[in-house]
Amino acid sequence: MSRRGGRILGAGALGLATSACSSSFGMPRGGSEQGQEIFRLWQIFTFAGIAVAAIVYGLIGWSLIRYRRRKTDAPDALGRQFHANVPLEVVYTAIPVVIVVALFAVSFRGEERVGDLAADPAVTLHAEAFAWGWRFTYGGSGATVVSDPSGEDVDGPTIELPRGGTTRVILTSNDVIHAFWVPGFLFKRDAIPGRTTSFDITPTDTASFRGVCAEFCGLNHAYMTFTINVVEPDVFDAWVASQPSLGPEAP
Amino acid sequence: MSTTVEQPPAAEAPMEPERHGPVAWLTTTDHKKIGIMYCVTAFAFFLVGGALADMIRTELAEPGRQVVSTQTYNTLFTIHGTVMIFLFVAPFGAGLANYLIPLQIGAPDMAFPRLNALSYWFFVGGGALVLLSSFASAGGGAAMGWTAYTPLSEARMSPGVGPDLWILGIALVAIATLLTGVNILTTVFLLRAPGMTMWRLPIFTWNMVVTALLGLVAFPPAVAAFALLLVDRRLGGHAFDPLGGGDPVIYQHLFWFLGHPEVYILILPVFGVVTEIIPVFSRKPLFGYAGFVLATLAIGALSTGVWAHHMFTTGAVDNPFFSAMTLLIAVPTGVKFFNWIGSMWQGKIRMAVPMLFAVGFMANFLIGGVTGVMLASPPIDFQVADSYFLVAHFHYTMMGGAVFGIFAAIYFWHPKMTGRMLSERLGRLVFALLFVGFNLTFWPQFVVGMRGMPRRIVDYATGLGFDTPNLVSTIGAGVLTLGVLVFLFDVWHARRHPVLAGDDPWGGYSLEWATTSPPPERNFAALPKIRSERPAFDLHHPDVKP
Amino acid sequence: MRTASRLLWVLSGFAFALGTLYWFLTYETTGTVLLWMLALMPLIVATWIWRRGLVSAQLTEDDPEADPGAHPGQVIGSFPLDSAWPIFAVLGVITAGASLVYGLILLPPGLALLAYAIYGLMRESRQ
Repeated sequence: MSRRGGRILGAGALGLATSACSSSFGMPRGGSEQGQEIFRLWQIFTFAGIAVAAIVYGLIGWSLIRYRRRKTDAPDALGRQFHANVPLEVVYTAIPVVIVVALFAVSFRGEERVGDLAADPAVTLHAEAFAWGWRFTYGGSGATVVSDPSGEDVDGPTIELPRGGTTRVILTSNDVIHAFWVPGFLFKRDAIPGRTTSFDITPTDTASFRGVCAEFCGLNHAYMTFTINVVEPDVFDAWVASQPSLGPEAP
Repeated sequence: MSTTVEQPPAAEAPMEPERHGPVAWLTTTDHKKIGIMYCVTAFAFFLVGGALADMIRTELAEPGRQVVSTQTYNTLFTIHGTVMIFLFVAPFGAGLANYLIPLQIGAPDMAFPRLNALSYWFFVGGGALVLLSSFASAGGGAAMGWTAYTPLSEARMSPGVGPDLWILGIALVAIATLLTGVNILTTVFLLRAPGMTMWRLPIFTWNMVVTALLGLVAFPPAVAAFALLLVDRRLGGHAFDPLGGGDPVIYQHLFWFLGHPEVYILILPVFGVVTEIIPVFSRKPLFGYAGFVLATLAIGALSTGVWAHHMFTTGAVDNPFFSAMTLLIAVPTGVKFFNWIGSMWQGKIRMAVPMLFAVGFMANFLIGGVTGVMLASPPIDFQVADSYFLVAHFHYTMMGGAVFGIFAAIYFWHPKMTGRMLSERLGRLVFALLFVGFNLTFWPQFVVGMRGMPRRIVDYATGLGFDTPNLVSTIGAGVLTLGVLVFLFDVWHARRHPVLAGDDPWGGYSLEWATTSPPPERNFAALPKIRSERPAFDLHHPDVKP
Repeated sequence: MRTASRLLWVLSGFAFALGTLYWFLTYETTGTVLLWMLALMPLIVATWIWRRGLVSAQLTEDDPEADPGAHPGQVIGSFPLDSAWPIFAVLGVITAGASLVYGLILLPPGLALLAYAIYGLMRESRQ
């Protein structure tokens, strides 16, 4: 390949890499620490995916153009008759192994960070999913927010979380499997009856986040939404104090 | 009434007069007829599944519920998924296998012809039950998703006979798969022609061997899960009901232990099809035969160890184990891609319709594969699992991959099966409509999935960035439908205005191209010498070293 | 049958090894049982082949220099051209299965039809 061609390719790759570092490729950047960790992983995997795809598409496209049968060829012209190239095949088996090992390492560390449970969360939120709505209870105060039964034009419940503090969510289901998904936090967890599961959310932005049920749970699955407002801690304290309480530490 | 497997049948051996009419098709045990019946029936189910998809896309074109009731919508996607997976792609692969394997290995039929017929009729019976389950009782049609997760699929939340009929239907299809698996393995192990060693088998046949093995080991746990679910529903069991001491997560383990190998059962035949087509239309030998075989074996083996990547968001399984296994399985798949490219390299590529579809397959499946690697990372899964990103991923592999491969197979082997060519011009139009329509339908689904649209929802709120992509997706579905209609016209047209194909219209490599189109009753009047993995090519090109 | 036999042993060994690795990494019962049971199927077939002395059986098809017509194989069965019994067997199974949903009254006729079809298939084999 010519030197000039090589420089152009190199500049293109550098430009792609730079824009990749800042591009979100369509994914929300994450309104929580855990979400931002997931977003970083997303960028790495997407960049790797685009690079691999570009190489493979390039090779396919090159073959189709360069090695197409031309009108001047004999009707039964044959291509070059070779069967294998073992060293090449070993190389293009080994390189993907290295790539997936690296991706696994990155993903493993990311998952540890995302799933890490803080020793002393600022807030404990019990989330109980049912068909078809949500019941949220704050530990300590027992403040409770319960859905109206979900339906086509029914708004889901709204709860608040403090910005910067860690909320421990303890999730379960009353009946069938549901899932607690907040796309703005890039996080979901299944709510399974007979099991509780815990995860931490540490929001970083004051904003309003949509939540949905992400595990098909029957008739009104599509309408099982909720809203999380992330507010400053003092606003949060005031809000919790103003919520009806069903007794201390209800579940 | 029958012939014994003693010697290659001579052309003048006395044969039963061939029966005609519907009774012949109902009682046949000839692998070619059964193969065609499988393919035609499976394609009919494809049309059903496609119609269901069109109804889904019509509802989702705009926010707000306009077209169907929520209950009906839930039934629509349940039956759509079930039909496409269990009643279209898998049986079409079985049909191709039944038709091609005896021809490709130089045998007069499958090892167990009546078992073969039994498999086919179990498939038809199971399919009929699944369709019946969609409307069997008012408000009780099967509507729990094709994955039928418990406790949703238990009697309390899914009453009525719909889910029970669905379970029975799937069980029958499972039996069909097990019987076909036994048949395929016995046939390939024991009925090959002289000189057809295992390492000269066409790659399509090798892929079917691995597919058969996967079916045999993967289906029983799912059948056990469905049997337990039936006991829960009808006989007072609590296997998956937490209130009775059961565990819904165990259902998921049992289901996905089949569920993941199932998707490889769907794609491996198509990998085989594409591997047959690419070298023929590049006029070169297959590149890396041993690599293909080893990669297929690796994919089959590894696919049994990845099942719980469908359960990353439960918090109930060891995510890193399954993440590692899933990432690993990308490697042999990548090797196949490079071997396909090697098979095109320095060739004389003819872009006939089968090759068009094979290349389209590669283009689409690559996206499915790359997004699969993303999904193999549990944290990324935490965002995109159970969203339209996932729906797009599996449609890129299953539809962009498997269905494109199926069309490639149809255009490639229709001349052999019927003796008539399909139209090259119409075929190009079909390809263009399907390729554009497919990508228009499913690329926007990646977008809305990342923006937060969950799957299996009848409706979505406006103002979330879902509106335009969903509309584009529905338009794409319309283009896809048009492509399928043009294809049906092509098939009809080929019957009305036949263009004779001859024995070997493409310059094919495997043994089926060394006999007439369609082949005679016991497949070969005389077998050629077999000295390589492309005996028909060797026969027609004695100057080229095998 | 060397290649076929090897294939089955390898699959069985792989599943057993994977199941064992899975157990010691996760202590999860269902998956471990599934993987170990998976190892059983090819093991059964591979053991049968081995015990019958078929591993090194000289099959004509495994001879890379064999020509068509060389050493006709042993008679291993016959190929019927048609049979009505498969479709009757399936109708029997469907009827019996539907009894779970539509009432046990369907069970006797379903099983009877299935039994008759199996009998028919057996008789047909003996021709």
